[in-house]
Parts: sequence; structure tokens; C-alpha cells
Amino acid sequence: MTTSNVTPLRAPGFPDGISELDAALRQHSYIPDPGLSVALYLGLTMSRPILLEGAPGVGKTEVARTLSRMLGGPMIRLQCYEGIDASQALYEWDYARQMLQVRAWQQDNGNSGNSVAELYGPEFLLERPLLRAVRESGPRVLLIDELDRADDEFDAFLLEVLDDFGVTVPEIGRFTADEPPVVIITSNRTRELHDAIKRRCMYHWIDFPDVEREAQIIRLRAPGVDDELARSVAKAIAALRDMDLTKTPGATEAIDWARAMALLGASRAEGEAALATLGWVAKSREDMWKIRPMFDLPTG
Amino acid sequence: MEDPPDVRPADRLSTLVDDVAAFGRRLRAEGLTVEPARLATFARAIALTSPEATYWVGRAVLVSRPADTPPYDRAFFAHYGAGFPTERTPMPRMVARVPDVALETPDGSASSTGTASVSPASRVEQLRYKRFELCTEEELARLGELMRELTWSMPPRRTRRRRSSRRGELDMARTLRRSMRPDGEAAGIQWHQRRLTPRRLVLLLDISGSMSAYSRALLIFAHAALSSDDGWEAFCFGTRLTRITGQLRTRTPDAALRAASEAVLDWDGGTRIGDAVKALVDGWGQTQVLRGAVVIVCSDGLDTGEPDLLAEQMDRLHRLSREVVWLNPLKGLVGYEPIAQGMAAAMPYIDLFATGDDLASLEALSQRLSAVRGRSRRPSH
Repeated sequence: MTTSNVTPLRAPGFPDGISELDAALRQHSYIPDPGLSVALYLGLTMSRPILLEGAPGVGKTEVARTLSRMLGGPMIRLQCYEGIDASQALYEWDYARQMLQVRAWQQDNGNSGNSVAELYGPEFLLERPLLRAVRESGPRVLLIDELDRADDEFDAFLLEVLDDFGVTVPEIGRFTADEPPVVIITSNRTRELHDAIKRRCMYHWIDFPDVEREAQIIRLRAPGVDDELARSVAKAIAALRDMDLTKTPGATEAIDWARAMALLGASRAEGEAALATLGWVAKSREDMWKIRPMFDLPTG
Repeated sequence: MEDPPDVRPADRLSTLVDDVAAFGRRLRAEGLTVEPARLATFARAIALTSPEATYWVGRAVLVSRPADTPPYDRAFFAHYGAGFPTERTPMPRMVARVPDVALETPDGSASSTGTASVSPASRVEQLRYKRFELCTEEELARLGELMRELTWSMPPRRTRRRRSSRRGELDMARTLRRSMRPDGEAAGIQWHQRRLTPRRLVLLLDISGSMSAYSRALLIFAHAALSSDDGWEAFCFGTRLTRITGQLRTRTPDAALRAASEAVLDWDGGTRIGDAVKALVDGWGQTQVLRGAVVIVCSDGLDTGEPDLLAEQMDRLHRLSREVVWLNPLKGLVGYEPIAQGMAAAMPYIDLFATGDDLASLEALSQRLSAVRGRSRRPSH
């Protein structure tokens, strides 16, 4: 049911509908919630960026990794931080290399034909993630990670690039992507992103998974963990999330914890094995003290 | 904006457009900002997907922050009917947790909180102007959450360190280093600038007998304020000064209040403000705690100590810090004048004298403080 003026991205292995996408993600070891599949499907078919928000450790970055595996293309990651600017996101001239080139030309002097224009050729261009995402072809995933960390001026800059996937390098010319990459933007909500960014994006809030899905995730990600242990870990983690902890455990912690207990040969998340591996879920002393009583044996 | 809607058969198009437009009106009635461009995207997206995905399609296109989910849900189910097939996941807990705190009354009495007809928003509105002394435990707990949402942005100060920037002073070291790399060729001039840091907030809370109706609310306030920045400090005093920063760093307000009340030995005793301020300045004036900080004193100013001592110590505090704010709950009373001896002695050294006996006044204060910004009141040394 494709329509006239939407040009859907049709890479090999690209699923044809929401349920197909859901299945494909699962096949590549990611268990999406129903809303995520819809948001991803729309983002892919309508060539819109997908904005993912949620608590740390719910698997926002993992979505991008999974998509890149699914589409069979590279994942290009732009990690945002305070003070990031265009030269770190787009490109820089390799100044040192240009100087070396000039010196080399000076050595065999008189041998002209070497013009200054050559100094500003593509081989002296240091590609940064955004330019790379524009220049590469074929299926690829551009992950703009933790955009909320960048200053808000960066939003405006990004908007310009995301709008038409074109980057102008004055000395060379304009690069445009023949086919836009899949764009995943993540944010931890330390600040509200610019409205114009949000308007362009498909939005999805990734919540902590419920016990059922958590158990599935653990089973999938930690092959050595059996069903009983996975379920029991999922239950314990759900209980921990209801406690008022400094650091609420995410899916990552659940997986690590399950794996650790499996290595100790435990069959359920309780008693000594749970206590011994508590460091995988509790990341501060206060939390440790709060959680401890949950697993203490009644006898002592 | 620039996205024209799809071209499709005229009749189907018009029903789709009418339907989407009606949904858009409902969303706006619920208070969501729905730009025409988003509605156009939504229309195009539902044409691409099967009907059972519509709920999530709307969530992806029309919602862009967790707080918008509940109004979206209301509009969606009002428009498409409750029987609409969806697979809903629970709402993000940060949203779900807020409204139901004030609903429970432990004794089961249907008091002011028990009426279901009052919407959560208007209950917040009522609570905002309710004086702390009149609040129940539950209301205080709710207030604590609201206080946490207050943003306390302190006026900035310049630090010793510099960061590179596009303007500012010439950064000789970096300029030279830069030109080493290409072997002495000038590589462009580098600039740097002093860094800015938000100032520290120091709270000084009066927990003496005359303030007992407020002390719980003050501690909740202090707990909420301290959670927003690591370097902030809280002290309380009656006849002696106690530092309660550590106790208030516990995550839940209840645990924090318990820890604080164990640390403080002079609950509901007399008030010697002058001695307390002296202890504060003596003990902490030499450290980075007070210098250049914003100090908020919460007290009714009913002092049993020497007014001269208080005046002298307030002067010291005033000289050390950047701003001295005095919150006096009595100020809200009709006809109040700061003529109590202690209060009168302290008045000349106060930059901002405010009420602080309900949430609205604290909100006003937080806005006032963030507006202080670049003003230079006196030389910083």
C-alpha cells in the first residue's frame, strides 16, 4: 500500500509492513514494544528521523545497532556532547597533511602542475559522521546519540542537515545523499529538544519492559540463561524498579545480572547467588543497602 | 508546513481530511500543540498503515514528550472510540506517578482531597496558594514533588578557568601550539574566555518553636532544592547550628526528614539567630561554601538573642555572600511590619525580603533569582 509521492526506502531485507518489521527486529535479537515497531516503520517508509527517548539502559542505542544489522549497512554514530560544533559533526581540513603536501612540492620545485586547488581536494578532507552519512551510499543508519547533551544551537544546525541531507564544503562543492540514511536520534531528556526537530521526527518513548518482555529479552541476549532464571530475574527487576532507587536498573543491568547468576549456577534470583551478584544491579552503596533485605534468607 | 497532502481520489481524500481535521481539533482542545504539518504527516502515515496501528501512528507523529501522552490518549479514545484495537503499554512512570499522590487520605475521610470532581490541575492550583501551616501530610508530600519541579537556576559567577571560545581574550598558548603543528605556519588566532558556573545556594532554616508549623515544609523545600544541585548546602538552627546537607541528600523526602530530625537536637526550642549566623560564618565563611553564594534564610525573625549581635553577623554574611534572601512566613499576614527586634536588626543586610509560606511564593522566588544574572552589586573581593 505505497502511495504516490512518498519514496519508500527499499533496501534488501527491508520489511514490507509493521508486523514484518517486528519479526525482523526479533530475528536480529531486539524485542520491540508495539509502539516502537510502528514508529520505526513510519520513519523508514516516510524517510523521517526517529526520535527515541527513555530512561538510560532501556535500549535506545541498541535500536540503531539492530537496524543497521537488519538493513545490512554500517552504523554511523555521532555522539553529542556539550560544546560540539559543526567541525566535529561535519568535516575538517587535514591541515597538517596539507602542509606536508606543500613541503613535498617544494622539494621537487619547478615541477609545476600542482595547483593550490589540489590542496583542497577530497583526500584532505577529514570526514566527520554527518558528512560520512551523506557521502556514503546504500543502506546505512545514522545514530545521533544523546542529542540533549549538545547545546541548543546545535539543534538548528542539525535541522539544516537533516532537511535535505546536503552538506556544502565551499572549496569542493555540495554533497547530497542520493538516498537518505535512516536517522535515529536519542535523548535522555536533560533538556527539551527544539520543536522543529520534534516536528520532523517520529517520536517514541521507550518504557521499561514488562516482566514478560524482559524475560524474553534476557533469554535472547544471554543464551546461557534458562527460562526459569530469566523469568525470576525479570520479576525481581520489576520489583526493584518500584523501589525508590538512586539508579533504576535498565534492561542492560537485567541481562548482566542474569548472566552473572547463570555463571554461578543459580536457578532463581534469590538467596546467596542474588546477594553475591547484587553489584550488577545496584550501582550505589545506598541502593545496595536498600535492596539487600529483599534477598536475605529468613534464617539469617 | 511544506508538505502537501497526498493526491488521492477526491471522495476518499475528503473523508480522510475531515476525519483528521476533527481529530486535530480534539487534540488541540486537550491542550496539545498540533501544527498543520504534523496533521498532514499523520494523514499520510495512516494511509500507509493498517487501521489497528492508528493509535501508535498518532503516538509517533503527534506526541513528542511523555507529558503529552495522557491528553493524547483522552483525545484518541474520545475520537476513535474506546473499543479501538490497540496494544497499550503502561505510561512512563514519571508521568503516571504525579496525579495520584494527593488522592489518598489514610483515615478514609472524604476531605478536600477526596472529591473526584476536582481535576488534578486545579488541585495543584489550590495547593499552590495554600499556606504551608494549613497543609496536611499528604499535601506536603505532594508539595515536595512540585517543589522538585521548580528549576533553581542561580545567577552565574566567573571561574578562574578559561575555555576556548570564539571571542574573548587572546589565547596565546593555544595559538602558538596550533602553529607548531604545521611547522611555524600561522594557524589562526585562538581565543578563550572565563567559564561561567552557577552560584551555590545555601539554605539556613529556622526550626525553633515559633516556626514549628513550617519546619516540616521547610525541610521538604530544602530536600527538593538540594536535589537539583550537588554543591548546595542546608543548615538549620534553633539555639544551635546543625549542618543537614548530608541527611537531606537521601533520595526520598521521608527518609531525608527522618535522618535530619535525628541529627538536629534542638527542635522547637528557642531562637538565637545571631549565634546561628555567627556559627555559620565562623565555620563556613573561610571555605568556598558561603563566598559568593546565594543564601536563603527562612525564619520569622522572632529572636531571643542580642539584636546587635544579629546585625553584626548579618553584615558579615552579607559581605561574604552574593545575595541574602530572607523568607519570613509572617510577611504574608495582613498588616505585618518587620519591627520585631531581630527582624529589624537584620533588615539592612537583606537583598530580598519575601514570604515563602506557600508554593507560589517559592516559584516567584526561583524566578527572581534566575533573573539576578549579570548585575554587579558590589566588587567581588
